[in-house]
Amino acid sequence: MVRILNILAIAALIGSAITAYTIKYETIFHAETIVKLQHQIKLEQDQIGTLRAEWANLTRPERIQALADKFLDLQPVALNQIVRVEALPNKTQRGDAIGSKLEALGLAEPTNTPGDANAIDAAVSSTPAR
Amino acid sequence: MDEDRGTMSAGCNSGLDNAAEDAAVEPAGSRGRKNLFAGIFSARLDKSASRIRLATWLFLAIYGIIAAKLIDFGVHPDPLAGVRRAASEPAAAARPDLLDRNGELLATDIKVMSVFAEPRRIIDKDEAVELLTAVLPDLDARELRERLGSRKGFVWVKRAVTPKQRQEVYHLGLPGVGFLSENKRVYPNGPVAAHVLGFASLDGIGISGLEKYIDGQGLADLHGAGFSLTQENLTPITTSLDLKATYAVRDELAKGIAKFKAKAGAAAILDVNTGEVVAMASLPDYDPNTPADALDPNHINRLSVGVYEMGSTFKAISIAMALDLGKVTLRSRIDARDSLRYGRFTIHDFHATRRVLSVPEVFTYSSNIGAARMALMVGVQGHKAFLGKMGQLTRLRTELPESAEPLVPKNWGELNTMTIAFGQGLNVAPLQAMMAVGALANGGLIISPTFLKRSEEDAKKDARRVVKPETSEAMRYLMRLNAETGTAKIANIKGYFVGGKTGTADKIVHGHYSKDKVLTTFMAVVPADKPKYLVLTLLDEPQGLPEDGGYHTAAHNAGWVTGKIIERTGPLLGLPPRIDLPTQPFPLLAKLGYAEANVPAHGGGEH
Repeated sequence: MVRILNILAIAALIGSAITAYTIKYETIFHAETIVKLQHQIKLEQDQIGTLRAEWANLTRPERIQALADKFLDLQPVALNQIVRVEALPNKTQRGDAIGSKLEALGLAEPTNTPGDANAIDAAVSSTPAR
Repeated sequence: MDEDRGTMSAGCNSGLDNAAEDAAVEPAGSRGRKNLFAGIFSARLDKSASRIRLATWLFLAIYGIIAAKLIDFGVHPDPLAGVRRAASEPAAAARPDLLDRNGELLATDIKVMSVFAEPRRIIDKDEAVELLTAVLPDLDARELRERLGSRKGFVWVKRAVTPKQRQEVYHLGLPGVGFLSENKRVYPNGPVAAHVLGFASLDGIGISGLEKYIDGQGLADLHGAGFSLTQENLTPITTSLDLKATYAVRDELAKGIAKFKAKAGAAAILDVNTGEVVAMASLPDYDPNTPADALDPNHINRLSVGVYEMGSTFKAISIAMALDLGKVTLRSRIDARDSLRYGRFTIHDFHATRRVLSVPEVFTYSSNIGAARMALMVGVQGHKAFLGKMGQLTRLRTELPESAEPLVPKNWGELNTMTIAFGQGLNVAPLQAMMAVGALANGGLIISPTFLKRSEEDAKKDARRVVKPETSEAMRYLMRLNAETGTAKIANIKGYFVGGKTGTADKIVHGHYSKDKVLTTFMAVVPADKPKYLVLTLLDEPQGLPEDGGYHTAAHNAGWVTGKIIERTGPLLGLPPRIDLPTQPFPLLAKLGYAEANVPAHGGGEH
């Protein structure tokens, strides 16, 4: 009886030792991961900082204006191009204005193109043979 | 001997026993040595006391050695640790970002690698110099050799190397040469807003401008106390500047300087309700990324470091003073028929009218005689007190550490009052004059200019009333009138209801006022009925253009530049242009019986 108890006690001891060590090594592993990640975060943050500076440098008004003058056909905004919202005309009736105009012209009807005409002729000529 | 061995095996462990046995077995071993071993390993009780003493001394000696070594380490630090400490001091400290009012980046830190060397650990210094200069060609070989030859534990080889150079230096594999990550201050916008930002040295210490101001606010102390601050735990500082407007102002000013062949110039936009400097430029300027240029005295900030005679712009202050103290009203008439004589001095009008002028006419004709007469009505003491109240006699302090004391005449007599009334004889910083004119425009509160973002409530907290609201409105009316019919016509941008005042001051050359060298200023209030911004342009020695008839007065050059600035920055600063002019721009004046103030004026010749 005592022997079994002893064996159990030893087993429990070994078991707890193994658990303790496993936890310890896991902790160390996690701690290392944290340090690594922190390092990585720092690196990323530094890179973000550098990129922000680069972005600010590339979008500085001086450069944008030089590029715009060279490549774009734009003019500075004239003051008469700015109006208040109230000055805008009222909303007109919704709808496809161009579409309705085309419809009114009768462009929606089928048209006889030269190719189509041949086809119709062929159809006409072939009818009697049937 | 047998007996000895017996006692030994009883008293000692087997290892010692063996050793003793070996000694005993040794054929050549003498009797004395055997005795010695026997003595050492004997377990006799009477010897234990001395043995314990011996052991005590032994341990004491060992601990003594350890302690001595520790002290030695403390006194003569490990060279490697020394390098680390030495490096932590010169390595540039992190500084907070500087942003414009809309969050655009004006200054930031980037991480760079710097190459350092530990001269004591370099084996072949000449070889090291040769290899390093091959990789880093802009290094001076002789100077580097000298530095490596020094007895220092740590020297910089080159700050802020590129990643490629870093790789090359790394591949040299030189012992005693290493890398340190450092913060480098960069100004992505180059010279735009350079004077406000100032710059920081390679070691991360603010040298001028806002950079120095930040250090003064406790950043330097934190670094000094050994807190290693990183970019992440420093809150960015938001300045009052608008990057786009600042650029536009600088661009227009540069065009103006080129057009009128001026020596230098400055321009600024001040929010009259908050005291924020929204945009400013002073040309010629420098790029803070190459700080050595900043030391050129020609590159000073003309708005706060330069002091100038502001010329006719000061007449606005004189007239406001006379109006506010009740010496004149808008209907008063001032005699300007003859030049004003004082002793051997005579004051003339540039646009001589030779008649009795009304107060608005004194302003629009920019009459020196009228302004001088009004100042005389107030008297020397009153004039001095008023200018003091307006902050024109003491140094203006802003966040920028660079500022200049105004040049105030020592013996201020009546003649001084007369000349200062029209802007001669008192040199102030242009920003200082802006503060005063801003107070005349914004309803009468003097608000000290700031370069940091500030809300209107915060600004009003420290504001001081200097003139009555009615006086302020009268001044706005006069400035508006001047833009409609007077000298400020050129800057009357349609839709913005601009009010303005020109100022042309003859420069003093060899102690005399020069006729052809002038300093022209222009101040504009936008819009004049509900003032938001005050725009100042200052040109140093502009030349007259043939198409302007060769005139070099402010109306032709500084006014032109101001007009351009208003036109361009108005939309950027969110000022909506108005198609219809306000019908009741000056309600207080109407209440006081000046109904004509609300009727738009037309005509008027070019003055």
